[in-house]
Amino acid sequence: MPAENDGLTRCPKPMAAPRLIDQPFARVCLAGFLSWLLPGAGHVAIGCRTRGLILMVTIAITFWTGVAIGGVQDTVQPRKRFAWFLAQTCAGVHGLAACSWSERARAAPNALENANPSYASVDTGVVYSGIAGLLSLLVILDAIGRADAPVEQAAASAGRSARERAP
Amino acid sequence: MTTPLTALLGYVAIGGMWRVAMLIPLSLSVAVVYKTTRCRQLRDVPMAVLGLWLTIVLGMYAVGVAAWLVFMTCVEWTAGR
Repeated sequence: MPAENDGLTRCPKPMAAPRLIDQPFARVCLAGFLSWLLPGAGHVAIGCRTRGLILMVTIAITFWTGVAIGGVQDTVQPRKRFAWFLAQTCAGVHGLAACSWSERARAAPNALENANPSYASVDTGVVYSGIAGLLSLLVILDAIGRADAPVEQAAASAGRSARERAP
Repeated sequence: MTTPLTALLGYVAIGGMWRVAMLIPLSLSVAVVYKTTRCRQLRDVPMAVLGLWLTIVLGMYAVGVAAWLVFMTCVEWTAGR
């Protein structure tokens, strides 16, 4: 099995990728942008597929669980909860989709029917989705760190992993 | 609109002890994300997640109980004066 491996070092085997990703600056920018756009996608792009999929699924579940608990109209509200909204936008496409949906739901003719009277539910939902966004920030920084790790360090780590596996 | 997504328009009523219990899945996702980024080997992640999850849950509930005891002590003290 190729070295999917190795903590904070660069994942040494990028997927079949365009030549652009071989350049260090482009690799860092691409990893950071993809991690913001869809948390975990940056890890997948630089070769840490399993790690990226775990992060992707966990953050998506956490974010949308929050939206389900609090209701989309009240959980993502840029005007009433700006600080939480900033945290939610760190989840990239999740935050932006929920915000767009929230705006449309509030503008709908039957918006009052769906108005949410439960502050406990809204608070819980906002905390869930906000923490999912803050976890995405951690994922973005981790993806950038891995993309920026020196190749020698990655090779050494991969060699160590191979030695550990050897009988 | 009658799609399953309609469920996300409403809310799930949460109150009482359920509100306290909602800490458990949230701390699990925090532990999974943190340890997935920090562990050098992916096979170390499950045990590391379990340890961090238990630490967060037990620590947060201990802090909550301690704060509740301090609050109740203050209430008793002010009521007795």
